[in-house]
Amino acid sequence: MMQGNSLSMRETFGKLLVELGKINKDLVVITADVGSSTKAIYFKEAFPDRYFNVGISEQHMVNFAAGLATVGFKPLVVSFAMFLMRAWEQIRNSVARMNLDVKFAATHAGFSDSGDGSSHQALEDIALMRTIPNMKVIVPADSADIKRTLPVVINELKGPLYYRIGRDYTPTITEGLDYDFKLGKGYVLRDGEDLAIMGAGVVLYDALRAAEELEKMGISAAVINLLSIKPIDEDLIEYYARRTGRIITIEEHSIYGGIGSAVAEVVVKRYPVPMRFIGTTTFGRSARSQRDLLDFYGINSKSIINAALELVK
Amino acid sequence: MLFYDETIHVGSSLSSIEILTTLLFRYIREGKDPINKDWLILSKGHAAPALYALLVEKGYISEDELWKIQDISSILQGHPEIYIPGVDMSTGSLGQGLSFGVGIAQGIKMKGGSGRVFVIMGDGEQDEGEVWEAMTHAVARKLNNLIALIEMNGFQLDGATSEIKPKEFLPNVWREVGWEVLSCDGHDFVSLINTIDEALKAKAPVAIFAKTVRGKGLKAIENTANQRVGLNDARKFLIDA
Repeated sequence: MMQGNSLSMRETFGKLLVELGKINKDLVVITADVGSSTKAIYFKEAFPDRYFNVGISEQHMVNFAAGLATVGFKPLVVSFAMFLMRAWEQIRNSVARMNLDVKFAATHAGFSDSGDGSSHQALEDIALMRTIPNMKVIVPADSADIKRTLPVVINELKGPLYYRIGRDYTPTITEGLDYDFKLGKGYVLRDGEDLAIMGAGVVLYDALRAAEELEKMGISAAVINLLSIKPIDEDLIEYYARRTGRIITIEEHSIYGGIGSAVAEVVVKRYPVPMRFIGTTTFGRSARSQRDLLDFYGINSKSIINAALELVK
Repeated sequence: MLFYDETIHVGSSLSSIEILTTLLFRYIREGKDPINKDWLILSKGHAAPALYALLVEKGYISEDELWKIQDISSILQGHPEIYIPGVDMSTGSLGQGLSFGVGIAQGIKMKGGSGRVFVIMGDGEQDEGEVWEAMTHAVARKLNNLIALIEMNGFQLDGATSEIKPKEFLPNVWREVGWEVLSCDGHDFVSLINTIDEALKAKAPVAIFAKTVRGKGLKAIENTANQRVGLNDARKFLIDA
């Protein structure tokens, strides 16, 4: 499996955070005892006074960050996606309700914490975050996408934002592509006419592989990186609904309330076309690698190809 | 016509009113600079009517507005929202105010401000696990610009606190964790003032356990778990007062 030459997502994230901390003196990082695992520890080494480990206290972590935002800091809460969900109500009732400038970097999302099993695998977080008013949701695809998005997230965007990344499995997807991140914009990774594959995160690697295979079968598939899940690029989704007439969504997340649902909400409103949803419907389990889990649960190029053949029939 | 909403939390408001009055009229230094003003966080947000009444006295909101509390046309919500003038934190979900206060107190210290943070909590609220998360962290960060006032009125939503979970141990726990713990009569201004004066000299975060009475002075609900009173009892209370 292609891993690319670039750093893992969390490694890229941790290193970039230090660079951003040099420019942004009000940037503070808050964790609940997962500084080493999330690589937030690099920020601690560089700026010990602006780093807080609140202990294993996720609910407090969120409101503590809210308090810091109120007196002029720019808090970035860094947590495992799963355990941040424990503080969903704090995110909703304090940060989002007061529309405070608190960002959430959720690592170990999806199946990326493969070994730890279902207790650690966040497959519902996008749905939970997407439903909160004032909340933005960003899902970068790979390390290159982190480099495009994180500086904008920290330096330019205001208000609550959920930033979803994985752990080590980081196939190269967008490296070398020429686009800048803009909130609410999706990006065409590959153009096509017969159907459009839309998604975000590491699973776009499988979307691209599927598109290559489909081309050999005479099916032209577009691949769209939606990375801004909320707000979502409604115009781009409508454009490809009209252009291809068929949409397949793929996500390392539940198909209920996640990226597929977000796309469907646009499609039924703007230009209804047949869709297929690839994602999870159950809890995860342990495996030796994230790749094994993606294949086990059918979140892969094979499923996309099967769905595509069904749609173009 | 007198517009009265029978669903407001009268019992809790009467438990908090002297504490809020003392803080707002004697201690809270108002201002626009977030690090050099004092913060008042009503973590037990259901005592909002008491806070709103005082915000009227302070001139933040009009008395006409107060009578419209919880009405669809009113800015005054059942629980505090920061879009209401004079409100420092949107609350209503218990156990979150202290964490928010810890964040503010920490931020003020980092920026070298003189602001102090007052957080008002209930005794039932102490059931929330987040209170433990916050009170231990406040000690770890040595936040001596943070004062928590905990109202011990002996009731929570479903009944007497003692029948639901024990609360007597609380002052000892807070002291053992590292807070300076004081106690006072939460309806007696002299007791409140003496205690808060002492709290302001402390080198550690301070928890003031204030003995209060739910529904204080309103015979129909005084010292019971009942929050609400009907129009006639409310009118009688106002006339007698």
